[in-house]
Amino acid sequence: MTWQRETFKKIKQIPREEHVLPGTSLCAGCGGLEALRLAAKVLGDDVVYVNAAGCFTMLAAYPFTPFKGSWLYTTMGSAPAGAQGVRDALDVLIAKGRLPKRDDLKVVVLGGDGSTYDMALSSTSGAIYRGLDFYYFCYDNEAYGNTGVQLSAATPYGARTTTSPCSLQHPAGTIQEKKDIFEIWRAHKPPYIATVAPRYPLDLAEKFARAATFTGPKLFLALSACPTGWLYDPGETPEVAKLAVETGLWPLKEAINGAVTHTYIPKRKPVEEYLKLQGRFRHLFEPTKQEEAIRHIQERVDAYWRQVNV
Amino acid sequence: MRSIRFHGRGGQGAKTASRIVGTAAFLEGLTAQDSPLYGAERRGAPVSASTRISREPIRERGLITRPDLIVIADESLIGDPTARVLDGLSERTVVFVNAALPSEQARDQFRIPGRVTTLDLTDMTLRQFGKPVALSAPLGAVACRLLGLKAESLKAAITGELADLGLPETVIEGNLALAASCYDAVPVVPVEEMAGTPPAPVSLWTPVYEPPTLGSARISASANSPLRETGGWRTFRPVLVPDKCNGCWLCFVYCPDGVISMTKDDLPLIDYDHCKGCQICVQECPTKALVAEREQEGAGTWRAK
Ligand SMILES: Cc1ncc(C[n+]2csc(CCOP(=O)(O)OP(=O)(O)O)c2C)c(N)n1
Ligand code: SF4
Ligand SMILES: [Mg+2]
Repeated sequence: MTWQRETFKKIKQIPREEHVLPGTSLCAGCGGLEALRLAAKVLGDDVVYVNAAGCFTMLAAYPFTPFKGSWLYTTMGSAPAGAQGVRDALDVLIAKGRLPKRDDLKVVVLGGDGSTYDMALSSTSGAIYRGLDFYYFCYDNEAYGNTGVQLSAATPYGARTTTSPCSLQHPAGTIQEKKDIFEIWRAHKPPYIATVAPRYPLDLAEKFARAATFTGPKLFLALSACPTGWLYDPGETPEVAKLAVETGLWPLKEAINGAVTHTYIPKRKPVEEYLKLQGRFRHLFEPTKQEEAIRHIQERVDAYWRQVNV
Repeated sequence: MRSIRFHGRGGQGAKTASRIVGTAAFLEGLTAQDSPLYGAERRGAPVSASTRISREPIRERGLITRPDLIVIADESLIGDPTARVLDGLSERTVVFVNAALPSEQARDQFRIPGRVTTLDLTDMTLRQFGKPVALSAPLGAVACRLLGLKAESLKAAITGELADLGLPETVIEGNLALAASCYDAVPVVPVEEMAGTPPAPVSLWTPVYEPPTLGSARISASANSPLRETGGWRTFRPVLVPDKCNGCWLCFVYCPDGVISMTKDDLPLIDYDHCKGCQICVQECPTKALVAEREQEGAGTWRAK
């Protein structure tokens, strides 16, 4: 069964209005900002963002904010707890009649992968368990970006970070496999989870439109190509971000109450095409090609898609 | 001891240049210290790095407040009050500016009281690589020359530092060739050591603390980030060739910063006050209706209003 988009069928249905204004100090070519801007076009302005420390802290650097709505800054480990507080406050105000129901706001957590995969995992688990009515938007740049690109549990095998360099003991750089946070979330059976990639704007927008029909936790993992951490020219963001999906490394999917659907089936180009564009994988190709490591990455993707029932 | 302060925009290579100079000095038997100023700022935003080299053990720490040499990677920083590139300067300080202007003219135009020398590193780099890349090697080369460090030490330092960054050999070789020409071409103004005992260090920036009972910083305004213009980040600007545009909206959809809007006739309108010059739109345009044009006088053409 192929996945059908209901709301966003043509590119010109992407709303013209901007909800994340320019002037932020995120890097030129930031893939995370690309994803957030598109998501915000569906979320609108009636939002309270609860932002875990990370690159996105730079969105609202004092005294400037790109949002028309509110933005609250929390520690890396506690954004979902912050979201609970905001949601509760809104609910209390509505219950007491001090806030008309029509003025209710959406509560949206913004967290990097360092927060999401590592530090805020228990806080997120608690929020899903309690059925908190909120959105969770993880912009996954596969490292602790804001502090200079250190290894996170989202860093893929074979990538080089400042804390997992290519060394004699570990010529491939990172030896751990990327944590499967989608499956960890899914084990909690929240109403809605999706992965998105800004190169697939209609898929992204459609998923935010669908999520809006559910009450409870709605969680998103957004591929965030990062020129600074992945070491490529900002202008190459389109190519890198597209190949992440086309090689099958970043599957586009959703899970409704735990039931998974893949929303796009790539033809699956060799992973090498994706890896060789980025400085963080250069040691796999130079000075000598690390065939073993590249094959390992390819085999993991192949194994993933073998178990996908498409 | 000689104190060198590098200023650039994130991604321009000031931090690596500072390492190159430290390493080159170390290879000549000097003591060296180098440290970038860590901020939460990003590619394109002002950054600085401090290097100290000395025959004696170095006791001083932290940001350099009385530089003997200031190396400026981007002339647009001189007019940017947040970058504070000329802080602590005296008439004896040597100031290198990466600019196309001759030294005298730069000195007058930028009103720098110190001793000024210039070279157009951006142009030399573009000629070497055919595209804008980090200026670490050229900046390091210029500083080494002005400090009287040997060409061989520079070469070894560049090789080591760039290899540490994981750059491919071809790129390192290109940088060595480029650095050698910059080393030879920069008009030399010798850097003298500050004489006498240094005065008490001045604090460049004093943070203001509020009592915790006041709570944390609060922005009461809404959607005011456009007041902060990021147009100065560009080296290349996207320019529309209207005849070629088919009105497909792709540039508008993919711009991370939302600086492209579509007119009623479906033509992209670019907000140059905020475009950071990432070139995503140029890459995405299926009809090549957006082309990258170099900012006329280096990155500094655009000025904050
Ligand atoms: C508990 C804690 N440890 C360390 C830090 C310092 N810190 C600030 S941002 C950041 C990186 C966050 O990484 P990630 O969540 O992936 O977001 P990114 O910076 O990549 O956007 C770190 C380590 C912190 N704020 N809190
Ligand atoms: S470091 Fe990466 S994720 Fe962070 S702002 Fe820059 S491009 Fe975006
Ligand atoms: Mg991250």
